[in-house]
This record gives sequence, structure tokens and C-alpha cells, in this order.
Amino acid sequence: MIKLLPKILWGPNCLTKRTLLSSLCFLIVQVALAQQEVSGTITDQQGIPISGATVMEKNTTNGVVSDFDGNYTMTTTKADAMLVFSYLGFKTTEIPANSSTVNVVLQEDLEQLSEVVVIGYGTQKRADVTSSVATVKSEDFVQGNVKDAAQLIQGKVAGLSVSAPSGDPTEGTQISLRGTSSILGGTNPLVLVDGVPGSLNTVAPEDIASIDVLKDGSATAIYGTRGTNGVIIITTKKGSNDMKSTIEYNGYMSISSIANRLNFLNADELRQKFDEGYTFNGANLEDFGSNTDWVDEITRDAYSQVHNLIFRGGNATSNMTASLNYRDLEGIFLKSNSEKYTARVSGNHAMFDNRLKANVGIILSEQMYNALGDGTSFNPYIYRQAVIRNPTEPVRDVDGNWYERDVYFYDNPVGYIEETIGENKLRNTRLDFSLSYDFGDHVTLKGLYTRKGESNIRGFYQTKNHVSTTKNGQEGYASRGTDDYVGNYGQFTLDYDNTFGKHKVTGLVGYNYEDNTNEGFYATNRRFPTDGFTYNNLGSGQGLQLGEAGMGSYKNSDKLIAFFSRVTYNYDDRYLLMASIRREGSSRFGEDNKWGNFPGISLGWRIDQESFAEDWDWLSNLKLRTGFGVTGINAGANYQALSGLTYGSYFLNNGQWVRELVPSRNANPDLRWEKKEEFNVGLDFGILDGRINGSIDYYNRTTKDALFNYSVPTPPYFFGTIAANVAEIKNTGLEFLLNVTPVQTENFNWTANLTYSTNTNEIVSLSNDAFQLTNDFFDQGYTGEPIQISTHRVQEGQPIGNFFGLKSVDITNDGIWIIERPDGSLVPATEATTDDRQVLGNGLPKAYYSWNNTLSYKNWDLMVNLRGALDYQILNFSRMFYENPTVSYNTLDSAYDLVYGKTELQDVQRFVSYYVEDGDFLKIDNITLGYTLPKDAIKFAETFRIYASGLNLATITDYKGIDPEVNREGLAPGNDERDKYPSITTFSLGINFTF
Amino acid sequence: MKNIRNKVATLKTKISILAVCALFVPIGCTDLEEEVFSEVTESSFVPSESDIVSVMASAYTPMRYVMGWQGWFDLQEEPADMFITPTRPNGWDDGGTYKRMHFHEWSSTQWQPRNTWINCFNGINSANRVILQIESEQLPVSAEQATSIISEMRALRALYYSMLVDSHGNVPIIASYGDDLPVQSSREEVYNFIVNELTEVIPSLTETVDTSTYGRMTKWAAYHVLARVYLNSEVYAGTTNWDKVIDACNEIIDSGAFQLSESYSDIFSTDNESNSELVFAIPYDQIFAGQWNAHMKMLLPDHRLVFGMQAQPWGGSSCNPQFIDSYSPTDKRLSDTWLMGDQLSASDGSVVMTLVKEMPSIYDCDFTDGFRCGKYEIEPGATGGLSVDFPFLRYTDVLMMKAEALLRTGSSDEAAAIVTQVRARSFDDLADATVTGAELEGDTTVQYGTLAEDGTIADAGDQATVPYGRFLDELGWEFAGEARRRTDLIRFGVYQTKSWYNHTPKGDYTTIFPIGLEELNTNSNLSQNPGY
Repeated sequence: MIKLLPKILWGPNCLTKRTLLSSLCFLIVQVALAQQEVSGTITDQQGIPISGATVMEKNTTNGVVSDFDGNYTMTTTKADAMLVFSYLGFKTTEIPANSSTVNVVLQEDLEQLSEVVVIGYGTQKRADVTSSVATVKSEDFVQGNVKDAAQLIQGKVAGLSVSAPSGDPTEGTQISLRGTSSILGGTNPLVLVDGVPGSLNTVAPEDIASIDVLKDGSATAIYGTRGTNGVIIITTKKGSNDMKSTIEYNGYMSISSIANRLNFLNADELRQKFDEGYTFNGANLEDFGSNTDWVDEITRDAYSQVHNLIFRGGNATSNMTASLNYRDLEGIFLKSNSEKYTARVSGNHAMFDNRLKANVGIILSEQMYNALGDGTSFNPYIYRQAVIRNPTEPVRDVDGNWYERDVYFYDNPVGYIEETIGENKLRNTRLDFSLSYDFGDHVTLKGLYTRKGESNIRGFYQTKNHVSTTKNGQEGYASRGTDDYVGNYGQFTLDYDNTFGKHKVTGLVGYNYEDNTNEGFYATNRRFPTDGFTYNNLGSGQGLQLGEAGMGSYKNSDKLIAFFSRVTYNYDDRYLLMASIRREGSSRFGEDNKWGNFPGISLGWRIDQESFAEDWDWLSNLKLRTGFGVTGINAGANYQALSGLTYGSYFLNNGQWVRELVPSRNANPDLRWEKKEEFNVGLDFGILDGRINGSIDYYNRTTKDALFNYSVPTPPYFFGTIAANVAEIKNTGLEFLLNVTPVQTENFNWTANLTYSTNTNEIVSLSNDAFQLTNDFFDQGYTGEPIQISTHRVQEGQPIGNFFGLKSVDITNDGIWIIERPDGSLVPATEATTDDRQVLGNGLPKAYYSWNNTLSYKNWDLMVNLRGALDYQILNFSRMFYENPTVSYNTLDSAYDLVYGKTELQDVQRFVSYYVEDGDFLKIDNITLGYTLPKDAIKFAETFRIYASGLNLATITDYKGIDPEVNREGLAPGNDERDKYPSITTFSLGINFTF
Repeated sequence: MKNIRNKVATLKTKISILAVCALFVPIGCTDLEEEVFSEVTESSFVPSESDIVSVMASAYTPMRYVMGWQGWFDLQEEPADMFITPTRPNGWDDGGTYKRMHFHEWSSTQWQPRNTWINCFNGINSANRVILQIESEQLPVSAEQATSIISEMRALRALYYSMLVDSHGNVPIIASYGDDLPVQSSREEVYNFIVNELTEVIPSLTETVDTSTYGRMTKWAAYHVLARVYLNSEVYAGTTNWDKVIDACNEIIDSGAFQLSESYSDIFSTDNESNSELVFAIPYDQIFAGQWNAHMKMLLPDHRLVFGMQAQPWGGSSCNPQFIDSYSPTDKRLSDTWLMGDQLSASDGSVVMTLVKEMPSIYDCDFTDGFRCGKYEIEPGATGGLSVDFPFLRYTDVLMMKAEALLRTGSSDEAAAIVTQVRARSFDDLADATVTGAELEGDTTVQYGTLAEDGTIADAGDQATVPYGRFLDELGWEFAGEARRRTDLIRFGVYQTKSWYNHTPKGDYTTIFPIGLEELNTNSNLSQNPGY
């Protein structure tokens, strides 16, 4: 009783409670009856009542569940009964019922062994999990203005890299799990939203309760197709039965600014260069008399607001959740924004003694954003124009027109923005319907059907004052387009679970069907009589009659069908097994290769449960697990197995232009599943009552039959490439996760979470029996003009992401690069050939690390997340193009620095190793400070918290570009392109309250 | 009572199971057939009569790469002595691609030769496919039609091979559409294949020259190609065939189907499709067939204002001053071919810029350094795709081939008469146009040797007399910028021996290009050309 006291005092209203308690204590002494009525309140450490917690009388079946306010009342069968309090995510607590009032404060289970982990088509207790699965709950999410669901768990899961290289409010994050396993398949994981394939944007981040990440093949094999890059399972916030009705509000305002600016010459600096005797061509030909900060002209402090409301409630048999989300995001560039509404309703209904359960769910969203890129959001070419423009040019000339000059690829960025009108509108619908029936004898049958729809309509117009007219005479250019997607998803599962003494068994069989249909249409026109119509009256343009209009339409569809089964077996909570198999077919593959089998098996041994470990009091958890699984990657596009014909370009036949009919694709009837085999071994541990816990995982994944657009000889082939299963890729890595609670006192709590993961990648082979490369490489990536050369080489025996170019080691007195050839000899760049290229670095980090801290002191909470990546390089395009005094555009200040301390550069723009920089960084990524109002300070709300948060706050790095987190997708990772949307720093101020 | 309750319970269960199962009725299948909507798959396609032209068209359209980006024009002109693409303030180093072309230091990844390989074999592949479709009766054609289409396709295939035998020499001969990995042939075998094919199909080719055969392989186009390969047979196969050149040319001349165009510039006008010189043209059109962007590479961005264009050209290539200096001042082809000096605004006549002849160095030229090719009409409103039809085979070439064969077989005065006839339209005074046989036998008037930055000769290099060098000059002045200079320089031995601008000779092996890395990579039957 004494032990409990301080914890009760923790709550608000402590004075009154203490008085009450004293009198209760007095009562306890007198009570010693056989049957006893016990009541009390169950709360968590913050004093928030826990509803739905189970109270059992030990060694009996006598039990009750706490109500909305955490209150319970029960009658024990005997005197001095032991009460067992349990609730998901909290430590089970036993308290003797030696008083008629037993209040209890449940401690959060730091190790969460009892937590339920969402695995494919079901859930499992954390303690029973035998594969590599990570769970992040909403209280541990990154807070503030996050881009999508993935950013919520940025730096929280070992082996999952989440980056946000673009500040565009319509762009999401880049994710990769355990390296790049596929050449064409990308690194995007399968995202399931409440069990149905969706995207990281299907529901609002504020509406998410938890995110589970299935990492290894034995866990993802149940999802066969698309399981290769891992599975991210998003569980939305849900109501439960017998729940008090609540409204939860979460909202924030934020302000964003460019994370970092490149130092280009400003007007004064340019004039100084003129004074020093520099002469330039093109942009910086002369002083045009003005002082213009072009980047300033197109950027702004961007204000955003996000509001989220969740309504929840339920009675004994039905419950519902409804949520509304509004996100109004401004980008840092003018006319760059995103406005999105999302609504979600989910109703659960149970009948026949809770045996038949039904769920109906609807998700609707609508998004609008400015689309200066003719169908895409911001056109990053505008940003390039702002940095390379002569700072002495005015924005407008004396007549008020946009100031333009005839310089190659040189347009006024402000005019470009102001004279362009573009809007994209998107609508997303999803209808879920599921029914399940519990037969009561350990068997549950469940069916689910989802209809998904996605449509967009786009409009784009460049006025007659846009360079498309003032330079290129189009007299107004407009385009419109629309796409429509409809998908059906159905699933049917039969679950079995039973316990025979020490043997616990579960089984699952299921069927899965999915189809997707995409169609669309677009049209363009020019020569409009007026700007007044913008894109709303396409037919009024004369371009159609002059043959200058364009149009197109398309439609395609695909299907995926699967059968799957899984069994789990648990012997005495010591030995664990999970085995699954999925047989899946895709319409995209060749006639005889549509179906593939994807087995997975994993084993676990809970060492701490063994009798020999009984005395190891310091040990709270020790589990060894190992698994093997096979997953697949679907063909990236439809119809690749079929040969295609297309009506192509025109041919003059007897004075008339007719379309040619040409093959458009080589048929490959042998096209089949790309398969990844993964072996995983891991150790989960917990010591000192879970104050230190974590896991270590090692994986070894081999992708076989990797799809690749293989070069073939023409003839006999019609096309130079064919989609074929040729490559083999290997990834190995280690992942460490450590959760530590260094301080845990009444008022002060500090938990730290550390992750470290490594990845080693190798392309084992690019050939198979049917397709042989004479050379074992191909080049990827492209600098763009005027350098016009590839940036990366993909080669057998080498990792993906190798930069391949000339190695600069010195400079001649004339300012020409000196290149070191692969044989070590030196040659001026003017004499170097493409044969002198060599590997200059690699664009994929070899290791990622993070250190997340959560501190709480009384009502204050503070979250500090640090994150970084190690051992990789970045090709700095901005320097490669503009750190050069000879170019005909504005230059970086550093263009006039002495290269290698010797002389100014006088060479043409070249891709040399001088611009390949180390990218290693440490980011102070997210700091959030929150304050929860004391209970007695608020009458209207149950909880009320305010917080301030900063995202992408500081970066410690030697990299000279804007942000070392650049594109890491595809086969040319690490290229920090010129045309980009710089990353941003955001500060948010938010409130959460529930009433 | 209990019984009823049980029944109700059972009924409930049954309803529930039914309801759950009902969810799957519409989706419970395993059919994975691909449904195709906006594409045509080969297996499902049944061609109709109207598709015949469309199918044949696919064999012709690859020809349009000729004036396209890094196409046949670049392949023939960049390594020769007229067109130079130096580094300019807006770039044009382009990874050194144009310098490698100028220096003859290309590797197997050089794009200009690769584009030639890809496009010519694309055309050959398509021609073979049409032939297969006709022979296997997949196309609904009459027997007569079948013969004429097959002959036309074989002639077209020979035209592509006439380009490949010149560019890469040792290429695979592929005469049927199939799955076998092609086997490499020697340059001589390729030459013989072209000659045999053309000789065989010429009798069954059409003699009609009108709109219906424009841009198509007629009997005369086939003779023209035949004459061209005979003209270069010493280079291709080590034997001369001057008499056969004359015979083939005479067939065309005697047909009376073509005449010299009265105006030189009319041959290169936007509406040149009715020009009397065109034996085989590649039709281009701003709207329908816009691949011609060679003008974008040559003109300056500000030529937009000079010609009232809708596009802003890129400003790369200009003419080697040594070649400009070789023109006779009275030769109107100088100004008909090159844009020089002040460039006037189309709208107000003001001077937009002034082009100068001098080009200091391939590493560093200003925008306005070097005269630009303005031979092909830039009509007002022109875009990145020019509408001029490219005169790939023109009648003047027939006359000049005959003249060259006569010159080389001792009939120099007869040759001179033909050359004078050709020159006449480009000189105001016939006396200036007249040349003699002796003159044509003489040395070139181009001052070869590398240039210093000030435009003087830095290193004269090989100054040996070029046999019939003056005739080579005539070819240069007449056919400047017509994507053939490389072939002519090789035949006259200049390509392998002389220095010009920043170029010094690299050796005989450079007369054919290396086979592309990708091609070698994918076909183990191919071996690289000697010297690479």
C-alpha cells in the first residue's frame, strides 16, 4: 500500500485524493471477510484512466473490465484474493485485494513483450515473434510538419532509411529498407493501411495509431509479391467497444524556410569581379544596373496549418471512429502549395454474441495544388534559373515587362512563375467492407472487400507574357489531362488457434485477389485569342488547326491473385516456429511463368524461459530467432511479356502523312518473378527489468532473376532492350537497436533509443544463360548538358551506386584539370578519354545511425532526435556546373577560389572527382517540447497538451551543397541535381486535446 | 423450445457464413489473362489492306535520323574538314564528343556511329520483317504487289547497307527476319551484297517519278545508290568500277526523269518536294516528321530574331575558316551556303549580331565565331524541326559522279564540261563558272594544316598533292553540309593524311568507325574493327 502511495499522488487532485486515501487505509485494517466487494480506479503513470483493462482474480475465471473512467468493481470469491491487472502495453500487476478499494497505476511495459505486433493477415504477441518486426506507436512518432507516414518513424527503425530530399509540399519521403535489392523494382516497400494495400498518404499522419515494419523475408513472405522491400503496416486510430465518446483534436501551425542557401555572386560581388577585370559571356555579360536577389524573389516564409479531429465511441456491440483532416501546406517557393482534406469513417458492428463482426469503412480525400510543371507540382527548372541569373538584372524592365534576354536556357524565374497557371486536383476514395464469423471452436472465417478509386484532373496555362510566347511565339499554351484508377481488392481467410497443454498452435489459410485499372487522357493547344480562358477553353486555341495541338489517351490493367497459408507453433513459451507459404500469380508475366511460390520459415528460442535461466534475475528477456524467406517483385509495367505493335511516327505516302506500324516491345514469354531469398538471424534481449533492451539482427539477402531491361542485339531483336530476369544482387547488413531508460523517477523520465545499421551491396551478376553481356557493366545517370556524360557505372562484383568518372588530382598552370588515369599516369583533362574513367565513390551510405531521446519532467516532455549516415559520396552538381569562372551564367562565390591552392579553374565544365564530396552527416532532426496541462487546470478537456517542434534543425557535415540527404533511389544515387526543390527547415506550434 | 433455439442458432450461423462467403463470389477466380486496351499486340493483330503502307513505312522512317541529333549529318561532317563544334560560352564540350570527332579519337561509345548502326539496322530489320510478312502471306497483297513491295524493300535495305558499309564496313549481312544471332561479314562482302541486291531488284522497281513515289526507292534511286557504291568500291572492296559508275549514272540521265534545278537554293527550300533534282529525298515536316534538328545545332540562339523562329537554336557548329577561304569570291554558293557577317533582325532590320569567320580554337570560341550553315531554308516560325526535305540523292550528284568517273578514266575534258554545267547556275558570269579538265586534275585549293589561334597555319603537316584535289573542292562547294564530306575525303585520301583546324591525321584505321560497345556486348559474333 505504501508502495502505491507516491504513484497515486502523482495524479492531479492529489490533495483530495490523499485525504480520501488516508481514510481508506484506516478501513483496510478492519476488513477481513470471506467474500469481498472490491472497487477502484486503474490509471497510467500520467494519471489518465485506462478503460478496458482486465482485472482477474488470480487462479480463477472471475474477472471484469474497467469502464470509461478506468473504474472497476468486482466481487472476489475468497478473502485476500490476489488481483491481476493487465492491459495491452502495460506490465501486468498483481495486488492483493486486502481492501475494498484497490487503485492501481499500471506501469508501461518498456519491453512490450505483451504488446501485440501486427504481422501479415493477423497479429502476434511481441514475445512470440520469430522474425524481424519493428513497431512504432504514435507516442513515439516524430512530431510536427511531417510529409507522410514514413517520416513519423524516421530514424526509429534500424535498417529503414527514410529521407526527405525535397522540400516540395506535394512530395513524400524516400524509403529504403535493408539496401537496394532490385534493379528495376525500386526500394518502395509494400504499404498496408488497415490490411489493404495503400500508400503513405492514404490516411493523414495524425490519424495513425501505430506503424509496424516487417523487415526480413520470413516475415514478408506471406505477402509474396512486393514483399522484397519490406512491408509497412499502418494501423489507424480506432474506437473500441464500451468506450466513452471522445473527440480528439490535434493541430499545428508551422513556418518553413529554405534549409540552406547556395552562395552565388550577388550584385555587389559581381560588380567587384567586373572591377577586378573579369569578363563574362552570356548571363553576366555586363552590369545591368539593378540589385536583385533572385532566390529571394521566388521564395517566401511558408506558413502551413494542419487540423485533425477524431471522433470515437462505442457501446457493447458497436463502435465507430470518424476523423477529419485538413492540411494546408505552403511551399517555400511562390505558387508551391498543397491543400488536402481527408475524411475517414469506420464502423464496427457485432452480433450473435460477438461472433459475427462487421466493419464498414470509408476514406475520402481531396487534394489541390499549384502545378507549375505542367501536371507536376513545382518546376525545379525555375529554381535553377534563380540561382544562375545575373544579380544586376532587374525583375521587370522600365515598361513593366519581365526583363528577358536571349541567353541560352535563361529565363526570368519570377516571370516564369507569375505567367504560369497550373492546378492539379486529386480525389481518392476507398470503401472497405469486412465480415468475420467466430465459430467458437477456435475457428474464425473472415472476408474483406475493398474498392479503391483515385482520379485527378490537371490544368496548365502559360500566358502570352510567358517566355513560351515572348521567346518561342506560342501565343499562350494550355494543357489539360486526367487520370483515373480503380482497384478491387478481396481477401478471404480462415483462422485457427488452439492450445493443447504446453502446445499453442495457430493456423491460417487464405485467398487474395487484386485488380487495378488505369486510364487517362490529355490534350494541349496553343495560339489562344486571349489569356482570359487560361486552360478552361482548350478549343479556342488555333494550334489545333495548325497541327500544333497534342493529345493522347491510354488504358491498362493488371491482376494479382494469391493463395496463402501460415502456421505458428509455440511450445511452453520456449520454442517458437512460424512457417508460411504464398502462391501468387501476376498477369504481367509470361504465359508459363505467371505463378510463383514464396515460402518463409522462422524459429525462435526464448532462452530466458528455460529452467537454467530461472535464477538470472537481471535478465528479463532473451530470445534467439532465425528465419528464411522468399519474396518477389512484380514486373514494373504491364504487358512486358507480350510483343506489342504501335502506330508510331509519320511517313509520307503519296502526299499524305500516314502513321507507321512498328513493333513497340520485344516479347519475352519467359518473363517471370524476380525472387529475393533472405536469411535473418536475430537476438532480442532485455535486462534490468527491461530498462535496457534491444535487438541485433544480421541479414543476408540475395535477389535472383532480377528484372532488368537487358540490351539485346538488333537484329535479330527489334528493340535494343528486352525485359528479362538476368541479374543477381546481394545485400548483407547488421542492425542494432538499443532502448535504454537511464533515468526513471517519479518526476523525471529519460528514455533513449539508439539504432545503427549497416548495408553492403554487391551486384553478383548481370548475365544468365540466355543473356550474356560481353562487358560486365552498363552506365547510368546523366549530368545533363553541356557536360553530357553518364555519372554511374553498374558493374558485376561492385556495389550499386558507384560514381564513375575522371579522377582529378591537380590543375595545370593554365587552369586545366590534371587527371590521374587508372594506371596512375597523369594527363591534362583535354587529353583524357572515356577510357580514363574510374570509380570515384559511392552514393549509398554504408551505415545509418540515430539517437532518439524522450525526456519528461513533471508535465513537460521533450523529444530530441539525432540521425545520420556514414561513408558515402555525393556528386555536387551545383559546384560541377557553377563553381567555374568560365561559364556563361552566374557562378558560385567559390568559382574564384584557387583549385588545389594553385590557380583559378579555366577548364570547361567537367565531371571530375573534385565535385564528388563525402556526404557523412549528423542531423539534429527533430526537437519537440511539449507541456501537458495539469488535470485541474482544464475543465472542458480530458487531456490538453501544447508543443513546439522543429524539423531538420541543424546538419553537421562537410558537404558543401544544400543538404547531404539527396536522392538515393534508382541506379544513380547520390546525384545532387541542379534542378531541385531544396529541403526545408520547419518550426511548428501545436496543440492536442481530447474531450 | 431448446430445439427451436438451436435451430435459430444454426440458422444464424448459416446466414453469417453465407454472408461472409458472398463477399468472394465475384472475385473467386484464378484467371490472369492480360487485358489489352490502348495497345496492339502482335499475336492479336490482323492487318488489313490499309495497314500495308503503315507496315512498309516502318522501314523508311529510320532514315529521318540523318538530320537528327548526332545522326548521319554529324557522322559525315564532324570528322571532316568543314564543320567544327568548339567549346562555346554556353557549353558544347559535351563530354568531349565533338572534339573526339574532330580529332578522330572516338571510342566504341561514341554516339554518332552508334546512331547510324542502330537506325540503319532498325530500317533493315523492318524491311526484312515486311518481306517475311509478305512471303508468309500475313499481309493481304496481290502477287504483283508482293513482287514490287519486296523489290522496294530490298532496294531500301541496300540503301541502309550503303551507309553501313561506309561507316562501319564490317557489319553483319541480315537478309531475313529471324532469331539467329547475326554473323559479321567483311566490308567487301557487304559491298558485294549491295551490288548484287540492287542489280537483282532494279528491273522490278518502279520508273514512275511523281508524288506517289516521292521519298520511296524507285529504279532511279536504286541506280543512284549503285553508282555511289561503285564510285567508292576501291575504298570498300579494293577494286575500281569507274565504267559501272558511268553506266549507272547514264541510266538515270537517259531516263530524262530529272533535271538540274535552275536555282541552287531552291533545292534546299521548305517546299523543295517539287524540285526537279530530287532522286531520293527524306521528307521532313515540322508537324508530322520533326526529327530534323541539325539547324538547331548550327544556328545561334539569336537567330531566332533573325529568322523569326519559334525556337531558340543552340549555337554549336560553324565552318572551318580554311574551307571558307577556298571559295572563289564570285561563287554564289558561298553566300547560299553560309551565314556570314551581320545578321539582321527579321522584324526591324537591325543588326542582331555579327558572325566572324575566325574560330580561335576548338577549346574556346565565342558565340559569334565561325560562319554558320544557312543552306537549308529557315522559314518564319520555324521550330526545332525543320520542314525542308533532305536531298539525300540529287541529280547534280549523278552528274558529278559521272564526271568524277570520267575524270579518273582520262576523259577530263568531258568531266570538265559536266562540272561547268553544274557551276553555271552559281556564277553570274559563265567565264567564272567554266573549268578545264587540267584544272580538275590539279591539287586542292584548300590550305591544309593545323591553325593557330590567330588563324595562321601552325603546322602544315602533309602537303603532298591531292590527285584530282580540285575536283574534291568542287564536291565540297557544291555539296557543303549535305552529310557526305567524310566519304569524299576518304575517297580522295585527304581524310587519312591531311591536317586541318586542330586536327592531325591519325591513320587509315579511322576511315571506319569502331563497332559500338553495346553492340559488341550483346552479340558475341561481332569482333571490333581493326585499330580499335
